[in-house]
Amino acid sequence: MQIRSDILRIYQKVHLWTGITAGILLFICFFAGALTMFKPQLSAWASPPTSILPQIATAQADELLQQALEQHPEIAKGFTLHLEDDKHAPLTWYSHGGGRGLNLNAEQWQATLDEHGQLLTQKVQPSQLGTLIDQLHRTAGIPGNLGHEQLGVLVMGVASILYFMALVSGVIFLLPTLVKTLFALRQKKGPSRFWLDSHNLLGITALPFHIVIAITVVVFAFHDAFYDALGEFVYGKTPGFSRGAPLVQPLNITHLPPIREIIATANQHAPGYEARTLTFMGLDTPRPAVRIEMYNEQALMRGPLADFLSLQPYSLETQFSTFSPTAAGTWGRIVAVFFGLHFGSFGGMPGRWLYFFMGLSGAMLFYSGNLLWLEKRRQQQKGAELPQQPRKVRLMAAATVGCCLGAMVAVAITMLLGKWLYSWVTNINHSYLWSYYLCFAAAVLYSFWRGAARAAIHLLRIGALACIAMPLTSVLATYAPSLGIWAPHTLTTLMVDLVALLFAFGFLYSARLTQQRTVNGPADSIWAIIDKQNSATPASRLSVY
Amino acid sequence: MNERSKIQPDWFGKTVCGLFLGFALALALVGCFAWFGPGGIDAQDKYQFNMWLLAPIWLSVLSFVYLFHSTRRALLWLGGANLLAWGLLLLLR
Repeated sequence: MQIRSDILRIYQKVHLWTGITAGILLFICFFAGALTMFKPQLSAWASPPTSILPQIATAQADELLQQALEQHPEIAKGFTLHLEDDKHAPLTWYSHGGGRGLNLNAEQWQATLDEHGQLLTQKVQPSQLGTLIDQLHRTAGIPGNLGHEQLGVLVMGVASILYFMALVSGVIFLLPTLVKTLFALRQKKGPSRFWLDSHNLLGITALPFHIVIAITVVVFAFHDAFYDALGEFVYGKTPGFSRGAPLVQPLNITHLPPIREIIATANQHAPGYEARTLTFMGLDTPRPAVRIEMYNEQALMRGPLADFLSLQPYSLETQFSTFSPTAAGTWGRIVAVFFGLHFGSFGGMPGRWLYFFMGLSGAMLFYSGNLLWLEKRRQQQKGAELPQQPRKVRLMAAATVGCCLGAMVAVAITMLLGKWLYSWVTNINHSYLWSYYLCFAAAVLYSFWRGAARAAIHLLRIGALACIAMPLTSVLATYAPSLGIWAPHTLTTLMVDLVALLFAFGFLYSARLTQQRTVNGPADSIWAIIDKQNSATPASRLSVY
Repeated sequence: MNERSKIQPDWFGKTVCGLFLGFALALALVGCFAWFGPGGIDAQDKYQFNMWLLAPIWLSVLSFVYLFHSTRRALLWLGGANLLAWGLLLLLR
């Protein structure tokens, strides 16, 4: 396809600038986002088996609730039922915290029935590893608030505007050579060609995914402003979201219909949908509600894990539904599709794995983009003297390696430390935060201190070490239970160990490639490590690119 | 191609046009869709859909604004489109 050269030049510039400003932030969010595909699994992996009471059959839920209510009258305000999900205790409620926001000090009560039908309860401070990784995904780790929004979310909103522009401009200036080069991975023509080819391939093949992610993030970050603008200039009023009339006379938990009846009503709502988690709220107030997570493997769901249904818990009238099958609910359904396409909440486990790999491939897209930027600005060697690489190239390389690899390594070390520290600290959630930020800061500083070439190798090796240590920790826990660590006890948590092992091999392999590049690659590259005493360049290392 | 027919980069001017006029245009187009599109202004949950619609229109204008020959052209075309869309919305509503 022919495109005028002046247009190409302009869009090449747009692509460079938007890409280089947003790339590192997007890398962190995509990597963390890939992990959030398995958010409950990660939290369960980070919790000792004793901190999640065992599940019961759903038929026993009424019996459990009755017994728990006798000992803990505070349940009458609200509680949550997890139906046959071994990542959670069957009945939970919060004595402190537990709202929808992040609260690292939340204290959770759990209850279950033992095999004789006797009530068992315990109070825990649940591990919020999954939630914290989700925070990292949403904010890129940027702390602080601006108004009632998180600063990091707003920053990512701006980064996603740049991301969208980078997508459009990238496609425009790729169009003339697209057909010829899309599936060409030219390894022989030198590393920068190879990186360019993989960058294009990753970007073009996943383009619809990237467009969806960019648009949804802009909406997630700026929906308040968008709603305000619409209300002010288009509607002339704020339509808002309708809520039913409050109860004149508040009821209490004794009026609650049996749990099995509530579940049956919810399951009848739409074919294929099944209640997973029921959260009862404000039971003694004029606005009681039960918010039900409805799961359907065949559907594209509105939430990260499931669709939502809200019932008035006493009358079982529908208050709100994200999967309303009525004709009037079409618009809401379309909106649910946008959410579902961001969250990857469709297609069951294969869908989650697909999104996991899409997230990682997105991270690779941004990393390779930064590498290309660096490659383009390299001072090439002309004579026998090695040129000094420009300052901005060295700094950008250090930032790319420090932030991108640093974030991955920091998450890996945090997960590992979380297991070892669990029995030594009062609240593991604070340790996660400290560990992540300290490791991340250390990685960035190290990268600027030693330079990108050395830091990349060392960070990759540390990442490999941390990832190998996770399954090793589990092996150790099996043979030495007195250490206070634990081995995975379900298939889902075992999978976390296995994936960590795969990551370890990935890190090791990349470390080897990076190491080889320092020796065999062109000497005038920022990735070369030149021995100071012996700076005369062997002819074989002269740049050929 | 001579120098005059080449596109001017005009980074700052075009970006500002895309950001502000682009958003205003998106708002007006979404407004027209909200009032005159399927279901009319009161359709259930359409408010949310309309809010979502803002983002792709705005971002597309912002991304393609560099195709204008210069800031002046961008200003004229986007300004004109805004006047038209807002006029339509305010007159017919």
